[in-house]
Amino acid sequence: MFDPALFKLPGMRRVTVILSLLAVVEGICIVLQAYYLSVAIVGLWHLHSLATIVRPMLFFALAWTGRQLLVVIKNRLMYPLVEKTTGDLRKQVMQKLYRLGPGYVAKTGTGNVVTTALEGIDKVQTYLMLVVIKVVDMMVIPWIVLIYIAWLRWREALFLLAIFPLIIIFMIILGYAAQAKADKQYVGYQRMSNHFVDTLRGLPTLKQLGLSKRYANNVYQVSEGYRQQTMAVIKIAMLSTFALDFFTTLSIAVVAVFLGFGLINGTITLLPALVILVLSPDYFLPLRTFANDYHATLNGKNAFTAVQEMLALPVATDRQQLGEAPLDWHEDSTLSLQAVDFKYDDTVSQPALSKLTLTAHGYQRIGIIGASGSGKSTLINLLGGFLTPVADQGEIQVNGQTVSHLSQQAWQQSFFYIPQSPYLFHATLAENIAFYQPQASQTAIEQAANKAGLTAWIQTLPDGLATPIGEGSRGVSGGQAQRIALARAFLDDSRKILLFDEPTAHLDIETEAELKTTILPVLQDHLVFFATHRLHWINQMDYVLVMDHGQIVEQGTPAELAEHDGAYVRLRDEMVGAI
Amino acid sequence: MKDFLATFKHDTWVMPYLRKYKKLLALTLFLGLMTFFCGSALMFNSGYLISKAARHPYNILMIYVPIVLTRAFGIGRPAFRYAERITSHNWVLRIVSDFRKKLYQAVEKHAVAIRQNFQTGDVLSILADDIDHIENLYLRTVFPTVIAWLMTLIIVIALGYFSWWFGLLMLLMLGLVVVVMPLWSVLINGARESQSRQLQQGFYTQLTDAVMGLGDWLIAGRQGDFYERQTKPIKEIAALRRQDHQFQWWRDFTIQMIFGIICLALLIWSSFYWTSNAASSNWIAAFVLSVFPLVDALQSVSQGVSEWPSYQRSIRRVNDLDTTPADEHDQTTLTEPVQMLRVADLSFQYSADNHAIFSGLNLTLKAGEKLALLGPSGTGKSTLLKLILGDLIPDQGTVQLNDVPVTRLQNERARLFGVLDQQPYLFNTTIMNNVRMGNLNATDEQVKTALKAVELDALIATLPDGYETVVEEGGARFSGGERQRLALARILLQDAPIIILDEPTVSLDPITEAHLLATVFRVLHDKTILWVTHHLAGIEHVDQVRFLEDGQFDMAGTPQKLYATTPRFKRLYDLDQGHDTPNEEV
Repeated sequence: MFDPALFKLPGMRRVTVILSLLAVVEGICIVLQAYYLSVAIVGLWHLHSLATIVRPMLFFALAWTGRQLLVVIKNRLMYPLVEKTTGDLRKQVMQKLYRLGPGYVAKTGTGNVVTTALEGIDKVQTYLMLVVIKVVDMMVIPWIVLIYIAWLRWREALFLLAIFPLIIIFMIILGYAAQAKADKQYVGYQRMSNHFVDTLRGLPTLKQLGLSKRYANNVYQVSEGYRQQTMAVIKIAMLSTFALDFFTTLSIAVVAVFLGFGLINGTITLLPALVILVLSPDYFLPLRTFANDYHATLNGKNAFTAVQEMLALPVATDRQQLGEAPLDWHEDSTLSLQAVDFKYDDTVSQPALSKLTLTAHGYQRIGIIGASGSGKSTLINLLGGFLTPVADQGEIQVNGQTVSHLSQQAWQQSFFYIPQSPYLFHATLAENIAFYQPQASQTAIEQAANKAGLTAWIQTLPDGLATPIGEGSRGVSGGQAQRIALARAFLDDSRKILLFDEPTAHLDIETEAELKTTILPVLQDHLVFFATHRLHWINQMDYVLVMDHGQIVEQGTPAELAEHDGAYVRLRDEMVGAI
Repeated sequence: MKDFLATFKHDTWVMPYLRKYKKLLALTLFLGLMTFFCGSALMFNSGYLISKAARHPYNILMIYVPIVLTRAFGIGRPAFRYAERITSHNWVLRIVSDFRKKLYQAVEKHAVAIRQNFQTGDVLSILADDIDHIENLYLRTVFPTVIAWLMTLIIVIALGYFSWWFGLLMLLMLGLVVVVMPLWSVLINGARESQSRQLQQGFYTQLTDAVMGLGDWLIAGRQGDFYERQTKPIKEIAALRRQDHQFQWWRDFTIQMIFGIICLALLIWSSFYWTSNAASSNWIAAFVLSVFPLVDALQSVSQGVSEWPSYQRSIRRVNDLDTTPADEHDQTTLTEPVQMLRVADLSFQYSADNHAIFSGLNLTLKAGEKLALLGPSGTGKSTLLKLILGDLIPDQGTVQLNDVPVTRLQNERARLFGVLDQQPYLFNTTIMNNVRMGNLNATDEQVKTALKAVELDALIATLPDGYETVVEEGGARFSGGERQRLALARILLQDAPIIILDEPTVSLDPITEAHLLATVFRVLHDKTILWVTHHLAGIEHVDQVRFLEDGQFDMAGTPQKLYATTPRFKRLYDLDQGHDTPNEEV
């Protein structure tokens, strides 16, 4: 309900103290408002004239206005803190994201990351705005009201005091019952609620199978089944609200009857009785408003926990072991891995990559081949520093200097990474090409585009290089996307290392053949790691790593490997369909 | 207001359903009304009770009725509220069932067009969300507003019964709360909503961009730029939220002030009307106290109504869907077996200002023949498939089965064509159910035979639930190759004479691909096959190869002949086989 982590937020303690003081004032306003209203009513009840109740009416109006103003003041006091906190959280999330890198995104899913940063924090905002004020109100106002009632008449106060925990106990019990019921039905329930989207997505397939028309009734029936299950859960879930309602209204009724008897017996006069009656709904009000927003606060609390968890994730440290400036990679430079292991998850015993040993030097062109799932991409990601190897095991050296991982600032600024589908930013074509060199001149960009074989395509675009591309804009084919990625490499010749992760896997053979003529010149004078399952690339490699089940099972020059009947030869045979 | 009416002018989604299930709707509104009535009546009655008791009636029986009523209202309020919530949810969920069916039917007509769309998932999720939205429109806006209006009406009539001018005054005051304030809210919020949506959308795009391109940001070392980009939208969103909140606080404050004034007005009115004698003055507390429970009910109208703009968008979107039934008068059936598939003199372009995809294309495929179709992306391979299936209508020429145009065979389609595409959809149900979709009348044995034919029997035997294993969302439980095999089993049961293979191996690795193609051509050996493929692996399985380029076939023949006579084909084939000698140009 009230997360202790909230108090760790800067400024929260101070605001909570002020809010509590304001709640005390509000409680006093509530008492005054009830008192003066009752005085006015009792005046009229005694058949006095309107003139005699002008003063109490005025005081009532003042207390009422004061009370409502306090509500606004509390919100205005709380809001800047909430705004600052959520703004800071958003910034922290983005900073954390940058440090966690694409490995985290791949594991968590783009959708989830965006949802956490956007809707998650929106929910946190709602949560912070609601929960602090409401909890403080609930902790303060009922007791001020109750103290005043007790001062007037202890018996009613005692009754109201006793009913309070009773309500909470019943709400908790019924809440648990609803939860248990919901849990029991959860699996089927979840499937039914997803069924509709599932069906819509599968519509083309249904149409191909000739089932799409008659499936409409199925949609209706599943939805009706969903309705029945939902109703079964709602009937119990709503019971907890019912309990709250039942006890609060009935308490008011009981108090009214108590007071009625008290009046008949003459143990109390009308004025205090009326004040108590007016105050009793206000006694329950903070609890009721809190309960009404309970679900919103619950969502917000979960979102808040999720954000806190993300911010607490460990990140790679020691990113400056190679300094901060990009490496000067040249013909004598070396990268070596000695018995390096990698695990996606610390809890599993089987590493995703194990005992990796390799040495790359100068402008070697290294092909990485293997069946799918053999660890080619994982190896490329490890080389790119997007994944961190198991600590204190094996050794990685760059130019003889030992580093704990390759997520080194200097290393990462020395290579280009070209995946199967290079990401194109929602920006102009020129901005996309110049992403790594934002200061590049228009001429340089044009030259790079030309080398990458984009000129003919650019001429067909309405605004040439200034045409917006990327998500939601002009579609770019897979081959063109690769060329844009290559243009980035042409534009910045200082990065001497290239990591390719199946760059042509999804291209048609003609496009691939054309693209290959563009790629080949880039491979000159670069250290190249090229993961692929298109075998013809091996002809352009100096050295080959054959991967299987997360291990390098064979390595050597293509000619060496072809000579003896090992993993390389077997893989080649299998790949060309000689089954 | 004009805007509001325009939304409902051609509405087929909201209004008709208010009429359907009328009784349940009336019950919901009645129960909602009773909830607030009991709430007010409890305070009214209690006020009267203690005022009367304070007169020291000589007999307890004098206050017996109010005592009983107090308890009745005290229990009545929660009971009615509970019942109201249950019935309103029940009503809304019934409507949702109708909505879903209707949405499904509307989308079904355009099933293929939807797949074309890049963000298929998004469009469908948006539509599904729209339905949830309309659900909330009822629960959060329509019901509370109508109930509040009815309540207002009752109060005004009740007070007007005692004195008409005071009734009118109350109508004015309460009208401010339940009509003027909500309208004001919707005006303010409507203007802000579109701005907010734009900002939110912009931020969303930017965030997605940042997250998906994170690797590039990292490698580029542009940390500063990366942070800076997020700062502006964060600030703008915060500013907008601030305005939103401020508006709500002061609006609620104003409403509370109006209620304060109503209390004072009641006191003043009572001083004239109810102070003639002691008995009538017992009613004063009753009237004044009954105001407070109303605050909750009437105040929430403004918030509910201010959400209208977002509902309006959803209503418009679903109303824009084409729900007219398809025209079927021209459909016929093919009685004799398929002899040939003929594409004759086919011309097609998507719209007048686009370039022509095909002009005068010809292709004949005899029963049992197997043809591979290649060509760079964008040359119209998928357009040709859509024309063949009848999803698109040619501008000129025809696509015929025997001598019947396929456009007249649309109801027969599943009997004539089986389709295996890049990502066949697996439904989130068991393997058995998924495969049986190929032919709902298939016995368990037939399904198992089909699964054995596609070589999945061994895998299924290792699963704890065997054939009853749930494939999970989108078939996530299985690998790409296994999913294709499941879909292939489905096609085997479907048993159509012509099979369209639309790049089924595009996302598979070469080994999986080679195995899958071997299976496909083995189990479909007696079918007519049109195979769109992106490279030449497995090309030896077909009798004919066609290369589509610029709307025409520019290479055609058997794979063996093309290899022998066409250097370009030879080079591509060799490339696929892994032979590529440097310095050799295309």
